[in-house]
Order: sequence, then C-alpha cells, then structure tokens
Amino acid sequence: MMIIGRALARRGYGFLANREYFSNIVGRHSYIHLRVKSDEYPRSLTYPVDLLVAMDAETIFMHFEDVSNRGFIVCDNASLHKTLEEAPSIEDITRERIKKRCNELGLDCSVESILKYLAEKKKASLISLQYEKIIRELFDKYKIDPRQLSRYLSGIVFSAFAVLLALDEDSLRYALSLHFKERAQIVEQNMDLYRIVVREMGGYKGALMLAPPRINQKKTMFVTGNDIVAIAKIVAGVRYQSYYPITPAADESVLLERYSFIEDENIGPLLVLQTEDEIAAITSAIGASLTGARSSTSTSGPGFDLMVEGLSWAGMNEVPVVITYYQRGGPSTGQPTRGSQSDLFNAIFAGHGEFARVVLSSGDHLEAFYDTILAFNLAEEFQVPVIHLLDKFLANSTATVSLPRLDEIKISRGAIVREAKEYKRFSLASLVSPRAFLGTRGVVMWYTGDEHDEYGHIVEDPENRIAMYSKRIEKMSLIKDRVPSEQKIGIYGDRNPDYMFVGWGSVKNTVLEAIDVLRGRGIRAKYLNIKMLWPFPEREFVEAAENVPADRMIVVEHSYGANIAKLIEMNTGISIEKSIVKFTGRPLTLKEVIEGFELIESGKEKKVVCRYGA
Amino acid sequence: MERRNYRTNVWVDWCPGCGNFGILTGIYRALEELSLDPDRTVIVSGIGCSSKIPHFVYANGVHTLHGRAIPFATGIKLANPELTVIVHGGDGDLLGIGAGHFVALGRRNLDIVVILHNNGVYGLTKGQASPTLPLGVKTKSLVEPNIQNAFNPIMLALAAGYTFVARSYAFDTNHLKNIIKEAVLHKGAAFIDVLQPCVTFNDVYTADFYRKSVYKLEDDKAWDPYVRKPEEAQEKMLRAMEKALQQGEKIPIGRFYVNPFVSTFEERISQRLKAYPGLNPSNSVIEVQGEPVVNQKNFEKIFRDFIIETQTL
Repeated sequence: MMIIGRALARRGYGFLANREYFSNIVGRHSYIHLRVKSDEYPRSLTYPVDLLVAMDAETIFMHFEDVSNRGFIVCDNASLHKTLEEAPSIEDITRERIKKRCNELGLDCSVESILKYLAEKKKASLISLQYEKIIRELFDKYKIDPRQLSRYLSGIVFSAFAVLLALDEDSLRYALSLHFKERAQIVEQNMDLYRIVVREMGGYKGALMLAPPRINQKKTMFVTGNDIVAIAKIVAGVRYQSYYPITPAADESVLLERYSFIEDENIGPLLVLQTEDEIAAITSAIGASLTGARSSTSTSGPGFDLMVEGLSWAGMNEVPVVITYYQRGGPSTGQPTRGSQSDLFNAIFAGHGEFARVVLSSGDHLEAFYDTILAFNLAEEFQVPVIHLLDKFLANSTATVSLPRLDEIKISRGAIVREAKEYKRFSLASLVSPRAFLGTRGVVMWYTGDEHDEYGHIVEDPENRIAMYSKRIEKMSLIKDRVPSEQKIGIYGDRNPDYMFVGWGSVKNTVLEAIDVLRGRGIRAKYLNIKMLWPFPEREFVEAAENVPADRMIVVEHSYGANIAKLIEMNTGISIEKSIVKFTGRPLTLKEVIEGFELIESGKEKKVVCRYGA
Repeated sequence: MERRNYRTNVWVDWCPGCGNFGILTGIYRALEELSLDPDRTVIVSGIGCSSKIPHFVYANGVHTLHGRAIPFATGIKLANPELTVIVHGGDGDLLGIGAGHFVALGRRNLDIVVILHNNGVYGLTKGQASPTLPLGVKTKSLVEPNIQNAFNPIMLALAAGYTFVARSYAFDTNHLKNIIKEAVLHKGAAFIDVLQPCVTFNDVYTADFYRKSVYKLEDDKAWDPYVRKPEEAQEKMLRAMEKALQQGEKIPIGRFYVNPFVSTFEERISQRLKAYPGLNPSNSVIEVQGEPVVNQKNFEKIFRDFIIETQTL
C-alpha cells in the first residue's frame, strides 16, 4: 500500500487508504481499502471496489461482494480450490453468514464457485497468478531464503496494481526507494518481481487505466493521521511526550522519537518516555509542563480512563498539557484495532469536580496538523488541559495531503513570569495568573491538588474557595472569545440548504463528498463540522443553524448514540432526532451516507444504522 | 537564592508527637547544610499526612496525587535535570497505590531522592493497615488483626534497582539528616526508608518500640555498603539483602547499599540526545517572537520522508 500509494502520488494522483486489522499479529484477515482519484485528493472510501487483489482465499470469501460490475480480481492460483472450511481464521459467526449467502446465490462455498459467479453475473475479470512460482523465480535469482516468502507476497500485490493501472517503472522505483531507503538490493528485487508479474499478466497492462491526473500540486505529503500529528507536535515545539503502548496511538510516539533531536534545525531535545502506565504518562507530562516544557501524551480510550485523576489535577493546578486521544471501539477493550467516535462525553466530562478544559476534534489530516498546534497554544495561553479527540480512522488512514502553510503558524505561550519578588502562582488579579516555571531564578511556588490560596498552599476557607473555584472555571469564557469562529465550527455546502448534516472528526470528508453527490440530484445540503467540542460554541452553532428547521438536521457519527446531538441540545436547546450512525468499527462510506440520507428523507427511518464492511 | 531557614509560615497540622515532625526537621537541616537554593529545589509528594510536607518547606513544592509523586517528579527532573528533586510519601502512597511507579524509578535510576514516611498505617483515613504492617498485627485502629502480609521496602528497592538504599528513624534527626544529605548528593535513584511512629493510630510500632529495637549498621566498623568496584555489586547487594531481612526485635538503620557505577537515566538519555542534559526540554528554544523554529523551508527538509515531489508524465 505504501509503495502503490507513493507511486501514484508521484504521478500526481490523489490517494486514500484505510487499514483494517484484527487485534493479533499474524494470521487473521487484514485488508486495505483504498481509493485513487485523478481530479482531487479522495475524501472518502466507498464500495463497490473496481479491483480486489487477494493474497489468500479468505480475502475472496470476505470481500467477493465488494467487487463492482466489470471489476477485476487478482488472486493466487493456489487459492482456487480452497473451500470456506479451509480458511480456519474466519470467525465462526462470519463463516456461517458467508455460507448462508453462498447458499442463497447457489454457490458451493469454494473460491472457484465464487469467482465463476463474479465472472458470470458481474462480468468481472479474473486474473489468477501462481504466487509461489513467481516468488520462487525471484528467490532463485537472488538466492533468498525461502522462509522469507511471505515478506515478498505484498510485492505481487503492488505489482498487480501497477500492471492494471499501467504505472510506469520510474514511479515504482521512486516509491520503492523511498520505502527501502538505502537498501538498494531490495529495491532491485522488487523491481524484478514487478517485471515477472508484468510478464505473467501480459495482456492486462492498463486494463484499469486511470484518467490523467489533474490535481496539479507540485508536492504532496503522504502521511497517516499518526504521522501528521507527530509532525505537528514537532512544529509546535513539544519537548516532552510520554506514552504507554496502546493501539492506535503508539505509532505517533514512535515517530516522535525519530525526530527527538536535530541539532542543526533547533529540534529538541524532545524527551519521549515510555512510562510504566498511563497514570505515569499523564502525571509525568504534567510534571514536565511545570518546568516550562511543552508537554503532551498520546493514548486511546482505556489509557485515557487511567489518566482521568491526573487530568483533574491539571485542571485544579491550571497546568497546560495536551492529551492526544485516538478513539477506538469500546467499552473496555472493545474492538482495540477498530475505529469509533463513541468517547465524546468521556473526553468532555471525565474527571471529578468542575474545571476548565478544551476538547478539539479534527476532520482530516490537514486539520489535525493545525489543531495540534492550536491545542498547545490554547493549553499555554489559558493554562488548561487540552484534549485533542481523534480516532483510529484518521490514525490509520494513509493519504495524500497538501503541504501545510507554516507561515500561518504562531506559537503563543501565554503570560510568563521570568522574575518576581513575591510570586503568587495562583494570583487572583486575573483569570489567567502569569505562570512561572519550576526552576525560574528567584521564584518559589507551590502546587497542590487540594483547594489552595494564591501561593498554592492548602486552604479550605469558603470565601477563598469561591474565588479560586470560579476563577478556574470562568477561564472558559476567555477561551470562547479567543478562538475564531471558523476554528470552532467549519461550515460547508449550501447557505440555504434543504438539509443540514452535523458531525465532528473523521466523518467530515465523507459527508462533504455525499453533499456533492446530493447536489447533483438537486438536493442542497450543508455540513457543520464541529471542531471545538468544549467549551461548546453555542453562539456559532445557533447562527450556522439559523435557516434550518431541526427536523431537517441529520447527525452523522461513528457511535450508537449520535452523541453530538445530545451535546448540541444541552448547549443550545436544539433537538436533532435524525442520525446516520455506524458502530461496527469500520468507517462510514460514501455510499452509506447517501443511502442513509435517502432513508431519512423518504421518512422511512429516523436513525439509520450502517453496517457495511468486512 | 540562598536561605538559612527553610520554614514557611504555614502552620504544621500533624498530631502532636507525630514522627513526621522529626522527618521535617531532618529535611530542614539537610537543606540548610547543603545550602540548596529554594528556587532550584522541588519537593514532590503524594497524598496523606506526610505528603503535606511541601507546604512546610520554603522550596518549590508539588503536592500531587495519591501514589503518583514519583511520576510527577520524573517529568520534572527529566524536563529540567538541573533541579534537585526530593519525593516524600507514606507507605500506603509509595508502596501501595504507587508501587508500580516505585519500581519504575529503580529501573531508570533517575537522580531523584525518595523518602518513605513509614508508619505502617494509612493515617489520614484513620489507621487502616498499610503494605508495611506485618500479618497478624492488630493496631488499635484495626477491627481485626491485619490479614495481609507486609513486604520489605528495602528488599523491593534493591530488587528494583535503586542505587542508594538506606533506612533511618524519624526521631534520630541527626542520623536522618546525614542520610538525606548523602542521598541528595548521590547520582541516581536514592531511597530512604524512614521508620516513623504514628501516635494516633499505631500503638504497636511506637517511639518506645523503635527506641529499643533500632540499631545502627555503621556501629559495626566492618560494615561497608559502598560498591567500590563494579564487580563488587552482587556481593554487596547480597549482604544488603541479608541485613534487610533483619526485622522484629532488632532493626538495622543506616546505609544498606550504595552503587555509583550504574548509569543514571540522564546519562542514558544523553547517549541519544547529545546536548542533554545541558540543553533540555525546559530550556530549549521552541519559538522566536512567536514564529516556530520550523519554517516552510526546513519543514520540507526535516520531513522529506513524508513529502513526495510530483512528476506527472
């Protein structure tokens, strides 16, 4: 996927790919669902697919109904005779469902019968290759240890892609060189593998030809969501990142470690610490922040739950700290490698007592870049914990993304005290007390999780309690004033719409593409992308929703509860009853949003639960 | 920012006769004799009677969460390695709810001092049994004799990798002061188990009890806890463990094990981040007049692995 994506990006195409995998290392069914476009960076994934490249028989069983009319299927000749019973890693429940479907279609549950069906009914083109023979030919030439066979299988996959799309050798070589860096021999081996596949696929070269690219970007980023957040943290000046390994957050920290010190560029030293648990992750990040270092931690739902007491301490002590929170399927361990947006309330309301916090979400990779930097700025300007609420869909989606504009970026660190005679860390003179760092010469301060006076000493006096407690909460009004409206809510689509979609986070681009499709059908629609989830931007929401009656509003969310509707009602009194939701852990696709809309528009459904995807 | 008197004007609200007073005096005297700058020193504590101590000391104080003083202190010390960081916590705090962090600090050998206020009970919640109260002991605050066994803090510190392991007694402030001073000067994770009576809830391990049972390791002229050559480490640790197992009638205090040959966490980090600890998270530049240090030009250079130059045919 990385090879084919980079080769396509090199030739100017837009690319978007989502990685689906089980919570295991090897043996269960993983797949990549991708989309390539010549006229824009793809915004969403959709079904059916024009090309299915299968590494094994299980892939055919799991995905045969995903294939479009006149689509292409590439598979291993050795898979053809396999039956459903011979794919032991398929879960029993799934197997029964596939069996039932095969029976309905009159198929005998073998790969052969399925492919025959696709060829006859869908006019699909079948390309079966002898994977083992191809690899042996390569191995004989390079004297590669046969135990490495599985490592080269993916070479057949990208080669088959390249042949059908008629990608040129130069772009493939470019992509391979980027991927394997200085390991020139591996690049050569893969190029040879590609040539063998070209020979074997001969007549199919260019059978799935793409239109010439029209995107016209000289450079493009090719990143996952984890990547772009890590890159943004480097730009923001993060100097301390703690983490406990968890899917789908850990990749961000691993990448940060690679960029922890670049002397010539003034990067770092950035300390990336793998802690003993998430409690230590948040509390050590808070400790680092007290010394003036920009600090963050990165986690998912189960880890965030462990961090909550630390979050409450940060609220009490007005500590700037950023928590990057990649949602996955809960509750509990839930679906650890699948996506979700079900932790909205957890991010906003977790923690005992009342205190100011900011919760931001991002609709796509580029938004995540800018929002990461905004998160650090808000944290320091207002001395609050900031939760950047992302999800697995973004984290594990690889996409072509425009280069961010660095000249638009400001680093604002808030009011800082460099020297003071009689320093009061929690001075009541202003809602945000100027911050001195632990270690500042001539300044001594105290912090405590107990209610405290201006110096930070424990005080239970009721009048002081009112003053301090209110100060900490009333900062929220300053935050609302400071953040520009467009960074609170993104407004897209028609000004006077027939329908208004409302959502947050990774559903954004799927909904935007759906709006374009609906426009083609004469339906005017608008999308509100709520970016600042807390403090909730009620004024901006009410203004943006002005012309639309509530029964023409539809929430789209990866959850059961369409929870943003409840948050909106709580803050504005506007009650949205219609929703398109999905909580299988697989991403909402363009087709599902459109079909969901049709069901709602026709009055058949108020809440549409989507379920497509293996 | 020198200071001869490290008292704050916060009233000390421990019970009269509490062992914490002795430890507080030990800290005052150690800070005074070391002339530690209050602005370059940080006292970090957890939750419990003993963890109120930062408020009584004129130096930076961070009074954190139950069990979490060590990770807070870890972040502080790593981000600004120039600071002297001293952790205080009770036995319930550091060894019960915070045991995982206690072990992690030993593995890292980060240059932090941990002072355990060890009184066998959870004082602030009125005397429940802590992880250092032996099985079967019934203090006056327990309904039934203790049903869980104690573990040995010195043994745990040795196993976890602390490179300075000592014990003292709260009311022998001279002994305690000297050990604190040595622990502060030691490079690496230092642990001091301070035996401390709780006058209100623990009527078994009282000041009288300790007066009779405590003896000083250093009174034996042959006792040498210092690893003087790296190859002595194992032998010295075995001897330290043997001493650590002495409990009950006779309780040794003093230095059990001191090993200066294990790399500190700061040293390990400086292997990776060459400019560390001189240049560190708290003093490195991240912006110049609001502009990030990364600009459009060096952005493309730094992150070239993620940027594709398009070349249409």
